Amino acid sequence: MSAPPKGLGLYRALLRLLPGDMRRRFGHDMTALLADRLAQAATTRQRARIWAAALADLLVQSVRMRLVESELAPAPSALLIDLRHAAAGLRASPGVTAASIVTLGIGVGASAAVFSVADAVLRADYPVEEPERLVFVWPEVNGNKAMALLAESEMSTLQLVSGLSAWTLTLTGEGEPREVTGLLVAPEYFELLGVRPILGRGFRAGEDLPGAGAVVVLSHGFWVTAFGADPDVVGRVIRLSGAEHESREVIGVMPPGVERIWQDADVWVPLEGDRAAGLADDNSWYVNDRIARLAPGASLEEANAQVRAYAARIQTALPRTFSVEDAEAATVRRMSDALTASVRTPILVTLGAVVLVLVIGCVNVANLLLARSDRRHRDLAVRAALGAGRARMVRLLLLESTVVAACGGALGIVLAGALVAGLHRLAPPDFPGIDAVAVDGTVLAWALLATAAAGLVSGLAPAVRASAVRALSLVSGSTRGSGRNTIGRLTTVLVGGQVGLAVVVTLASGLMLRSFDRLMSVDPGLDATDVLAFKANPNQGDYPDGEAERAFFRAVSERLGSLPSVESIGGIHLLPGTRDNWSFPTFPEGFAVPEGAPTPSVNFRAVRDDYFETVGLRVVSGRTVGNADQQDTESVGVVNEAFVRDFWPGADPLGRTLSIFSPSGRAYRVVGVVADVHQHGRELAPRPEMYFSHGQLLWDHVGMWLLARVRPGTDVATIGPAVRDIVWSIDPDVPVSEMLRLADVVGQSTRGARFLTALLTGFGALALGLCALGVFGVTAYVTGRRAGEFGVRVALGSSRARIVRSAVARAFAPVAVGLGLGLVAARLASGVMDGVLYEVDPADPATFASVALLLGAVGLLAAVVPAWRASGVDPVRVLGSD
Amino acid sequence: MTRRTPHDHLPMHPLSFRILLALTAGPSYGTRIVEEIERAAPDGRPLYPANLFRRIRDLLSDGLVEEAPSPEGADPRRTYLCLTPTGRAVARAEARRLRDLVGEAERHDLLVDTP
Repeated sequence: MSAPPKGLGLYRALLRLLPGDMRRRFGHDMTALLADRLAQAATTRQRARIWAAALADLLVQSVRMRLVESELAPAPSALLIDLRHAAAGLRASPGVTAASIVTLGIGVGASAAVFSVADAVLRADYPVEEPERLVFVWPEVNGNKAMALLAESEMSTLQLVSGLSAWTLTLTGEGEPREVTGLLVAPEYFELLGVRPILGRGFRAGEDLPGAGAVVVLSHGFWVTAFGADPDVVGRVIRLSGAEHESREVIGVMPPGVERIWQDADVWVPLEGDRAAGLADDNSWYVNDRIARLAPGASLEEANAQVRAYAARIQTALPRTFSVEDAEAATVRRMSDALTASVRTPILVTLGAVVLVLVIGCVNVANLLLARSDRRHRDLAVRAALGAGRARMVRLLLLESTVVAACGGALGIVLAGALVAGLHRLAPPDFPGIDAVAVDGTVLAWALLATAAAGLVSGLAPAVRASAVRALSLVSGSTRGSGRNTIGRLTTVLVGGQVGLAVVVTLASGLMLRSFDRLMSVDPGLDATDVLAFKANPNQGDYPDGEAERAFFRAVSERLGSLPSVESIGGIHLLPGTRDNWSFPTFPEGFAVPEGAPTPSVNFRAVRDDYFETVGLRVVSGRTVGNADQQDTESVGVVNEAFVRDFWPGADPLGRTLSIFSPSGRAYRVVGVVADVHQHGRELAPRPEMYFSHGQLLWDHVGMWLLARVRPGTDVATIGPAVRDIVWSIDPDVPVSEMLRLADVVGQSTRGARFLTALLTGFGALALGLCALGVFGVTAYVTGRRAGEFGVRVALGSSRARIVRSAVARAFAPVAVGLGLGLVAARLASGVMDGVLYEVDPADPATFASVALLLGAVGLLAAVVPAWRASGVDPVRVLGSD
Repeated sequence: MTRRTPHDHLPMHPLSFRILLALTAGPSYGTRIVEEIERAAPDGRPLYPANLFRRIRDLLSDGLVEEAPSPEGADPRRTYLCLTPTGRAVARAEARRLRDLVGEAERHDLLVDTP
């Protein structure tokens, strides 16, 4: 017999929500039924759904039964009467009502908007079978096809494995030539995903053998944009060059969304290669990742237990490629986790912050309603005298807060729509899943839940408090009932709590701001302003010889360089600021690899023309490389400062040599050292790098990015048409694509951080504002109640400053306590931000001190203003009125 | 107090009616009742415990079902239920009501498959 599902104890405990007789009679059967349901679920997602439905069912039914059994369940007519009373009560104090609605609206709207992001990004729905069973195998390293095949045969926990490799292919003959993202995969890839083509077929076994894979499967988007959704596209042979073929037969079209699994592919082609090649003889070292499906019954934990043995076997076979540490750190990661790993923590932190903002808003409303219920003391006492029971009074007041919350919720939903539209504009386009962010059913359910919770939280305290009003207090003739000090105490406690929560939110945004500031102060290593980047790579079929290809680039550079607005021209095969990278095993002269360590892997870049000058990359010593360095001249290279630090510390690098791939390979003499560039983003430390001339590579073809620096004051976009004209006048079949401002590309790596910083700062400011409003409101209320006392004190000769001091001291006490508790709570919780911050300690004392000072100052100001106003009372008027 | 006739319980909530139907064959308990209901209507929405047992509780208080002794060897924590004579009469009345309704729909050609 299988073990009972987890969590049934919790369900059993929650059964206490039900009336006792029902629980005693059916508790066991109910738990058994849920256990049965959970046992039938095959996946975690299904189990989660069952849990959600069962808990919602329990909650709804218990509330329903409890209501039926209590006086709280109104007869329809009584409910109408109470609703009318509630509406009248709210109309009587429009200021309080409007402030409450707006506060809750902001809280609900902001939280729903952030929830929509969290929901869309973290629970992204991939159109594949059981996406939660798809995993990446040892995603930490690059590999070859043999490694993917070995994973399938060695790891019994995996059912199917496919290598993944992203290539740029060129499509010609279909309108303007264009570059296409092609994903090289195993023939079983679509079977692995569990997707069927909407047209044609997927790959067949054997289509991945060398030369056998002149076929292509189109993504839905590419089928629509490049082929106008032509239903007869299957069977057509298209000119799609790259990855060993010049043309390919279209064999199928996939449904929308399959491309989102990895790298946003336009097309899929077979990952060709000899299936019998051993780990060491397989040269396909461009396989970036391995995707697999967990075998039936296998768990992620079991797969993780197996992957280390698999990695250890590869490391033993290839000790120069992988270190023991690499193999020991090997993991199997769930696809959905891997795709959202970079944004998971920031989103959850933001969601946490916005929920706290909502709670702060609720506390404000609770305080407003408490103060109002105090003013309505006489009205409630009359009701009590006329025989309204405690339950009826609670119902009436809860109804009021529910009406406020409902209006706030409606406002919140409208606001959420606007905020989501804003988020779309603000979010970086490569933020995973951002396209799917929308106010949908799930988000509305969240808004509804938040509204209901807000109604209950903000209404319960005033309702319970006011229901204790006794008819007797009416007889005493004063509106000052016995419970008034309790109200004062309650509001003070609420204010303290509110300040504490505001500290947590403000601190999170403070840390994020500080981290962003640090990030922006990092020198990216190059000056990307006024630089246009574009690709114009000729078809390899048309330029079989590397020299012909280089002649084409030379012609483009010369013509482009002669434009009056262009200052200099450069070329590099991988654009800085992107995630693209090539790194090769490198052998610097005189550097001994430590015992047991693999050969160092160094970033490799091919450059042409005046690359270093064009991107403003500083030359530290020696000279740069460029078009003068050709196959018939001495082989030379340039390295960066990180290279010198790692391999030749303290020595003069100029004149030393290095070789790539093997120690006996071609030796390149180092002729210059350049500054470090943050190639993949400011947050990542520069790695050792080497630059070679495009004319001195070991192979014929490499795609290039061309860069043009324009004269200051010229908009880089203005030379775009001239670029196209020049390229197409030289060869009309060359695609000119991805015309980008280099500054945008380099800035792209900070857009994610900018987005999250903006969000958290916004919520921090909101929390601060709501908190100030709360302190102000409560101080105004408390000092207002002490008007009589102030009047007596003024009459007895006390100075105004003294009165203000005493009032502020009393009002500020809960702020100070909340501040202290908030700082402690924030310190305990700040650890979660560790992975989000750049070079800022989550316990950063400066940020903690600034937040404490800021909130203290805001709290003090919010207390002083109403206290000053209240202290200006005319003793005669106040004493006379009471 | 006037005595309620079977017709006073009509129309029945579909789930309550299905519970009565599941009990016509003899005493049964929670999980088995659900199995029976889901076997008869495989496309229906899945049933969750609190909703089901609230209906059962209402049927108990209306006197349409009652607790039955547990069979020999059964888990004593399970609550066995069976139909009362009233429950059976109400189920029959509801069935007849539905049959009449379906007959009416048929007369209006609502059940003829259109091409």
